[in-house]
Amino acid sequence: MGATFIVTLREAFEASLILGIIYTYLQKIGARDGYRYVTWGGALGLLASLGMGIGVGYLSGPLLDWGPDVVGVGVIFAAVVLLTWHAWWMRQHAAAIRGQVQHRIDEARAAQSLWIVGLIAFTGVFREGAETVLFLWGIMAQAASTTGWEGLAGGVAGVATAAAIGWAIFHGGRRMSLSKFFSVTTVFIMLLAAGLFSTGIGRRQGMGLLPLGEPLWDSSSLLSDRTVLGSFLTGLVGYRARPSGSEVIGYVAYLITAAGVLWGRRSGRGGREPHTAVSVVGRPD
Amino acid sequence: MKTRWRSVVVAVLAVAGVWLFAGSVPPAQAQAEIVLTVENNRFQPEEVKVKAGDPFVLVITNRDKAPEEFESHDLRIEKVIPAGKTVRVKVPALKPGVYRFVGEYHEQTAKGRIVAE
Repeated sequence: MGATFIVTLREAFEASLILGIIYTYLQKIGARDGYRYVTWGGALGLLASLGMGIGVGYLSGPLLDWGPDVVGVGVIFAAVVLLTWHAWWMRQHAAAIRGQVQHRIDEARAAQSLWIVGLIAFTGVFREGAETVLFLWGIMAQAASTTGWEGLAGGVAGVATAAAIGWAIFHGGRRMSLSKFFSVTTVFIMLLAAGLFSTGIGRRQGMGLLPLGEPLWDSSSLLSDRTVLGSFLTGLVGYRARPSGSEVIGYVAYLITAAGVLWGRRSGRGGREPHTAVSVVGRPD
Repeated sequence: MKTRWRSVVVAVLAVAGVWLFAGSVPPAQAQAEIVLTVENNRFQPEEVKVKAGDPFVLVITNRDKAPEEFESHDLRIEKVIPAGKTVRVKVPALKPGVYRFVGEYHEQTAKGRIVAE
């Protein structure tokens, strides 16, 4: 039971964190009407995961060989773009709120197409969703014959625990002060996206599209990414015990670029559109 | 200004799309094939030897009734193998060394290694 619990908890953890953060974010900016986009995005992500989990069993030949890979890597990079976008929007709101111009928030809200948070929810769920579906399906296939019922219970409990963590973030985050919530989640989202970006680069290396050199370092004796803690850190901040040079460069390059986009040249954009003008009003950090 | 941003985004996405698909399709030329079988949540054989510096193809057949995921952190490969199916995984040329892999859905039992020499 323990093993299957850990697997599904690990797979569903990231999705539940992302959902928890987006719901809290919408609540914070007073856009409860946006909840439905997240709920729909998450539900569609779940449906797509089921579809992919079942569909992959019907694929064969070259389509089975590389189809899931293309989808998988595509979703990874899409998630990086969407998360970066979201962090950027949170910065805009944070500036608006610091500047005490409440009505600007409404303008900003109107300007951000809220369906984008739905897309984020979709990719968040879909990224590991198909794997989780296949895993649970596999346990069910074996449940009848062996001691699999216990494993199935563990697997379901893992997903439920992950969901509970997302829920806890939503509730805890509601009480957190607005500026604290924005800064904590912006940093968290950036690390998550940097980890995803370097994972995407790693997958391209695994496909032979980028050379896979020697690992830059080997910290697997210190913290292996096969351990529970290691695998959670892999999902959260992109920890690797034996990273390749390209993965580390990708990780750092993403962080520098994203930090430049989020914190750099803010006043340079001011005045062009109403919702960016508020960033001038906001005090610099 | 907005249209310029839009065209930049479209251009980036187009480049990313091409890059994503490029090389995803397996090449036509013959490469050494290494056969692996998943049975009773174990890999058979659990150790395979390959020639360092030569790309090869892992041909993995899942004889179990449950799906399995071939996963190797060392190789950066994750590949689902549905029950009863065979999947071909292109592996780029490797430097000499040991590359471990597991069946992610049955990590306790399904594990093995590729030795490149």
